[in-house]
Amino acid sequence: MDNINVLIIEDTPSESEALTKVLEANNYNVVGLATNHKEALTLFYNNKVDIAIVDIFLNGSPDGIAFAETINVVPNASKPFVFLTSSTDRQIFERAKLTKPFSYLMKPFNELELLYALELAVEKFYAQNDVFLSEEENTVISEEYLFIKKGKSLKKVLIADIIYIEVEEKYCNIITEKEKFVILISLTKILELLDDTIFARTHRNYIVNTQKITEIIPRDNLIILTGEHKATLSEKYKDIIKKIRTLK
Amino acid sequence: MSTVIKIKLLIVIALFFSSFSVFSQKKLLDSLFSIEISRKAEEFKTEKYFTKATSYFIQEEWDSTLVYSMKQLSLPNLDNSLLDYCHFFRAYSFKQKKLLIEAQNEFSLVSTKFVFHYFVKIYFGEIALEQNKYKKAIPYFLEVENLPKDKEYFFNKSTVQHNLGLCYLHLEEFDKAEFYLLESVKLQEEQNDSVILVGSYGDIAGLYYEQYKDNLAIPYFEKAYNLSKKIKDFQLKQNSALNMAVVEENRKNFPKALVYRKEYEQWRDSLNDQNKIWQVAQLEKQFAVKEKQKEVSLLQAENKIKIAERNGFFYSAIVLLLLLGTSFYFYREKIKTNKVILAQKETLDELNATKDKLFSIVSHDLRSSVNAMKTSNAKLLENLETKNLEELDSLLHQNSAIANGTYNLLDNLLHWALLQTKQSYFEIIAMRLFFIVEQVAYNYQSLLVEKNIHLENIVLKSDMVFADQESLKIILRNLLDNAIKFSNENGVIKIYTQNNNDTFCELVIEDNGIGMTEPTRFSLLKETTLLAKKANENTIGTGLGMQLCKSMIQKNKGKLNIESEFGKGTKMIVSLLKTPPNG
Repeated sequence: MDNINVLIIEDTPSESEALTKVLEANNYNVVGLATNHKEALTLFYNNKVDIAIVDIFLNGSPDGIAFAETINVVPNASKPFVFLTSSTDRQIFERAKLTKPFSYLMKPFNELELLYALELAVEKFYAQNDVFLSEEENTVISEEYLFIKKGKSLKKVLIADIIYIEVEEKYCNIITEKEKFVILISLTKILELLDDTIFARTHRNYIVNTQKITEIIPRDNLIILTGEHKATLSEKYKDIIKKIRTLK
Repeated sequence: MSTVIKIKLLIVIALFFSSFSVFSQKKLLDSLFSIEISRKAEEFKTEKYFTKATSYFIQEEWDSTLVYSMKQLSLPNLDNSLLDYCHFFRAYSFKQKKLLIEAQNEFSLVSTKFVFHYFVKIYFGEIALEQNKYKKAIPYFLEVENLPKDKEYFFNKSTVQHNLGLCYLHLEEFDKAEFYLLESVKLQEEQNDSVILVGSYGDIAGLYYEQYKDNLAIPYFEKAYNLSKKIKDFQLKQNSALNMAVVEENRKNFPKALVYRKEYEQWRDSLNDQNKIWQVAQLEKQFAVKEKQKEVSLLQAENKIKIAERNGFFYSAIVLLLLLGTSFYFYREKIKTNKVILAQKETLDELNATKDKLFSIVSHDLRSSVNAMKTSNAKLLENLETKNLEELDSLLHQNSAIANGTYNLLDNLLHWALLQTKQSYFEIIAMRLFFIVEQVAYNYQSLLVEKNIHLENIVLKSDMVFADQESLKIILRNLLDNAIKFSNENGVIKIYTQNNNDTFCELVIEDNGIGMTEPTRFSLLKETTLLAKKANENTIGTGLGMQLCKSMIQKNKGKLNIESEFGKGTKMIVSLLKTPPNG
């Protein structure tokens, strides 16, 4: 599980300091601090940013919104934003709202409000609303990562690292090469959101990363995965064999 | 010489004849005949037109008689005798109007069964006579003359005889003419009608004169002349005088002839005079008629003017009325508008007063806060110099608390201003109440610790409400602020929800603090913009917070309720929407 990379775009040092402090205290990884539009763009493109916290007003002009607008028009570049603002000025809000999805944080804010805003930004951006705050789920799935709420903060897991997923009622055991953990998500949702060219169901309770398969033993209804992990292959899902490129 | 005279006499006779025949007919009508036809009309009184035709006939209104008899004839299924009467009336009327051919035609339509058929014959005879067809006329008259004598007839026998005589006279059958004329005169003498007699005598005289029986003729001329003196007809007088003059001239008795001539001229002049008088009268009449006409047209013109005037008055009255109406309407509208403006002005004044009061209270509060900070800071510096570190800590905490209070006041002020100017961003969305409460409560941790108040957020994580996030936070902040403010040390504040309503989720902020009296509770809930300085000495406040809360709750389409018991605690109940508004 990795920390979330956050880019802070804020021109007031005291504000950015406070932000950094709170974020680091909650295991967020601040990858950069930009104080103007240009810097922000450079830092955004040169780092793997998961979330950007953007102050709407940079040096007295709404450059924050301009930055968001710039990023929004670049295909596949956009990331979740949290707008920071000290006023609920309607006109500014209406403009900021156009950079959908839109989440904001009103200054002054406390720790809880910041974390809440970050979670909300991720939920909204990946269009999986009401995940982190509910008691039934704790994971948002993007194309690349699983965003998992752990304690007060968010963590991410690279989907490509997942070897297999074992479903246990409403929990899912995620097994990667390095670790093993439990997330809260329904089976139907995880099946729907994972790329089905890579992940395949092999059993009522197993979802397997097909790229991690080393051996299939149909006789024993067994799939051997990298790292000597084993998954069950049931009759119902044996078609999976046809889908996998096998060496002759 | 004598031939000339004879010709003259003939003219005279012709003159006699025409006047004579008219007399006879008039007489006829006045007689029993009219009674007879009235009786007939009575008999057919259901026939409206016939009755009218009859009455007009008796009144000698020939045109009307023609019209109504025609109308009667145009009706279907008429009684034969009724037909006869109608034709008879028409024929007679035509004859009177000298339309002889039409009269003849109509007479020929009268059937022989007609009770008064002999009249038809008489009139045929008379028409023929008037057309100078003497030979044709004679048989008709003879037929009437020879009617059985045992019955009663309404015609004048002397007239028939006279007419016969005239016919024969014209045909120069003098014997017969003499016989009939003398017979007729005999009858007329019995009736003693001078006017007719003058004519008849004249005719007989003319008869003899024609035959050069002057000796016989002259007495008749004289008779006629003498009789004519008694009558008033100028024409007859004139004729008889002229005849006498001619006779005297022929007898060479010129002085006498001259006398007669003069008399003749005198009568002629009288006649002319009479004619002139009549003409003058006629002219006068025409003039009078013209005058009347003028008067009438004048009156008409006056009338027209009057009507025009009246119409003018009428229209102007309408226009004035309309004007009055519209002006009244606009006046009322103006009054209405004025009332509205006045009401608005009052509200505005009130609001302005509120605002002024708010300003004074806020600035007062701010001043005292800042002043407190100032004195505290002075103390802080003093203590720092004396290195009294213990005191430092408490002073810093005090400063922080003051700063916090001031900040809250300013924040409320800002939001109040934004709310008033509607500049604030506002979007009602779904949210989980628990986390909002958590976030708001987070800011009060230090304060709670300081006062040693236990705060419990027991809102369910599943509680969803629809509200605007920022305004909801302001509401919660103020309510929590109040709860802490009015809580005693070691107090407990509970935040929880009551879900006993489909539309609203009730968020309760309950404290066991000092509570409030009923009037306070009531005034807090009242819809008013007036702010009052709190009575509680320990608590600084403008009432702005509560006011803001109420406005924000209203804007979120929620409700506020307060349950409180003085000395025991207060429950602030905010009802928030469970479903999106307008849907």
